[in-house]
Amino acid sequence: MATITAEQLTMTYAGRNAHDPIMALDGISFRIAEGELVSIVGPSGCGKTTLLRILAGLEQPTRGHYQISQRDPNRPPVAMVFQQAGLFPWLTVIQNITYGLRLRGLAKAEQAALAQHWLAAMSLERFAHSYPVQLSGGMQQRVGLARAFAYNGEVLLMDEPFGALDAQTRLLLQQTLLETVAQTGQTLVLVTHSIEEALTLSDRVLMMSARPGRLIDELAVPFGRPRDAITLRTEPAFSALVAHIWGRLRAEIEQARQAELYAA
Amino acid sequence: MNRNRWLNLLSPLLLLLLWELAVQLGWLNRLFYPPPSEVLVTLWKNLTSGQLLYHMGMSLMRIMSGFLLGGIPAIALGILMGINPIVRALAHPLAAAIYPIPKIALLPLVIVVLGLGEASKIATLAISVFFLVVLNVAASVLQVDPRHFEVARSFGAQQRDLFWTVALPASLPGIFTSIKLGMGFALTLIVGVEFVGANEGIGWFIWRAYELYAIDRMLAGLIAVALMGWALTTLLDELERRMLPWQMIRTPRTPRTAPKKGTHFMQTILKWYRLSRPWSYTAAIIPVTLGTIVAAYHGAFSLWLFALTLVGTVLLQAGTNFVNDYYDYVKGTDNHESLGTGGGIFQGGVPPHHTLIAGMICFVAGSLIGLYLVSVAGPMILWIGIVAVLVGFFYTAGPFALAYVGLGEVAVFIFMGPMIVIGAYYVQMQQLSLPVLLISLPIGFLVAAILHANNLRDLDNDRKVGKRTLATILGRTGANIEYYVLIIGTYLSLLVVVVMGIAPWVTLITVLTVPTAFRLMRIVSAETEPHALQPVLRQTAKLHMQFGMLLVMGWLIAWMLEQVS
Repeated sequence: MATITAEQLTMTYAGRNAHDPIMALDGISFRIAEGELVSIVGPSGCGKTTLLRILAGLEQPTRGHYQISQRDPNRPPVAMVFQQAGLFPWLTVIQNITYGLRLRGLAKAEQAALAQHWLAAMSLERFAHSYPVQLSGGMQQRVGLARAFAYNGEVLLMDEPFGALDAQTRLLLQQTLLETVAQTGQTLVLVTHSIEEALTLSDRVLMMSARPGRLIDELAVPFGRPRDAITLRTEPAFSALVAHIWGRLRAEIEQARQAELYAA
Repeated sequence: MNRNRWLNLLSPLLLLLLWELAVQLGWLNRLFYPPPSEVLVTLWKNLTSGQLLYHMGMSLMRIMSGFLLGGIPAIALGILMGINPIVRALAHPLAAAIYPIPKIALLPLVIVVLGLGEASKIATLAISVFFLVVLNVAASVLQVDPRHFEVARSFGAQQRDLFWTVALPASLPGIFTSIKLGMGFALTLIVGVEFVGANEGIGWFIWRAYELYAIDRMLAGLIAVALMGWALTTLLDELERRMLPWQMIRTPRTPRTAPKKGTHFMQTILKWYRLSRPWSYTAAIIPVTLGTIVAAYHGAFSLWLFALTLVGTVLLQAGTNFVNDYYDYVKGTDNHESLGTGGGIFQGGVPPHHTLIAGMICFVAGSLIGLYLVSVAGPMILWIGIVAVLVGFFYTAGPFALAYVGLGEVAVFIFMGPMIVIGAYYVQMQQLSLPVLLISLPIGFLVAAILHANNLRDLDNDRKVGKRTLATILGRTGANIEYYVLIIGTYLSLLVVVVMGIAPWVTLITVLTVPTAFRLMRIVSAETEPHALQPVLRQTAKLHMQFGMLLVMGWLIAWMLEQVS
């Protein structure tokens, strides 16, 4: 699969006026190993989504650079799962899943085979020809996952994928994600505001500061894989780690809130 | 939805009725205000002579050409303006500046350039469609959720892919809206364009009628324009439904917006309209239409009398429904568990005696119309009317209520079948005829089958409360056989009249409903549970409607063939 290296990624936006640019990211450097599952947590507005968008190639960093070194140049480097699935409402479930494959110019038969496989893996067979509006939020995000897996990027990028879902659906989807990633062996970069989710889904948690976003700390998650998203939460070590990360982020979250109040 | 559609019909029908009445009673000068019936006759004549169709066709051809010529480039440029800021900056000011000019004002200029022929007319249409569509399309592309573009880019979409896979499909709803707007625009314009320097087309047709001072022809032309507009809109709606299936799906998750509350008065009307069981009106409308069309086939037809008969009969039907509701309530046969449509009092929360009053009002109004018909068509109608009101009232009222002694089917058979058909026929022809009795039999059988389907469903409950229907008297097996007899009798009696040469062979298109009939008989033979039999009632009513409509259509075709030859 792929390793990711980022060096001194910095991002500045033009602010409300030209003299007052907003710095979203400030010198972010990290290295993510092949097949590693990494979460990024931090207060809202800290630039974690911006970081992900840079990795996805949707934005160019102002300074610094990153590299995704691929094993297989024929595979796309990244596949992204968006907040609230980001499905195309005018396409059916199966058409959404094969969207990226069509752009890559895969043969029709190959597209169909991949689509069938991922529909089955995400328990979506019955909804293949439904439109997204006909699905619940959880179902929509299953389609989002199926689309990303079918596209088969070497790195999976996920931006708050389960943020809008209810707690039960969320747990079930987290379990599905864990099982699937275990099979595909993909590298995963997950942005989330849920500390529990970060601990459940990753090998390593990167913590970011309030804006401008910097990496302030990281934590190697001591739980091995395969693991179970549901029973994991009952372990005492789990809550201790949640408390630890929470303590580390607390000052940052307060600061972000202050900044918001000040801005308002 | 359905109810609103009926209500939508109500106000224009009332207006037409008032207009007709005002002319027929001499309040309006027929010369300046020809009554709707006369306009319809003119419309019909011009349609059948092919003249009107020719002019409509010419206008349609111009609209289509102008539309394609202006619309397609407009859509392409509009999308480009939407996704490309440079194109937008270049084109938008120009388009926005020209857009508000009334395009009909350009016609003289266009004529100077292109001459008086087809080209100038089509060009004027194309220009106006172009500017309307281009701005609307550009706006709808700009409104596409930018997230869709991001998602596409994350899957490696290039500029070209963004156009075809995101910008175009995402703005299709907006494009359709602008096409529909453009179509309305084109229709307005074509008439104006054809007023000036044209020798054919619907606009010319209207202008010519004005020059001849033939107001009925003018109005017929207007109706033709309206029909064209309606047809084009329907076509576009259908196209939209086909092309944008995702837009048409009602999402169960998002709560539908609450229906707009009308005024109190409208709500009251609506409530009573609903309580009158409007779905049952077809049972009155079909026999009246059948009787009328048979009379037309035999050589006499007055639209005015037909309309009156129709309204009068529906009023009597509504009255019967109300009175029936009231007495079912008083005698305690309906209760909260009553399936289906009876028990408006229970379900509608209406004081019982109000239902009785409503029924009386309907009876009185229906009778007044009946009296007018008597004055026109003779005393025969009086007798039919009196008997009809009596049967309607005593259907469930009084000590010898027909419905409670097992005579419901017989009463319904006679009065919702032959009696209405013959009455409607008599109103037109002012004479009785035995063949009409035979012609009406299938309708009688089917309407009795509806009632019987109701009684079949309620068989066990009716037994418990002691309501005597033919079904409870005959028992389950006998009642099933009765249903088969009624259904088979329908088709058999029609076949007999066709073979006898009384009804034209085209009426046999009603065999299209035979599969439904078979399905219903199969369900009846297999089921005894009220819930399983509920669909039989609904489907039998539908069968009555479909069979009746096909039968009427058959007669109509036969009549039209007669007119042609």
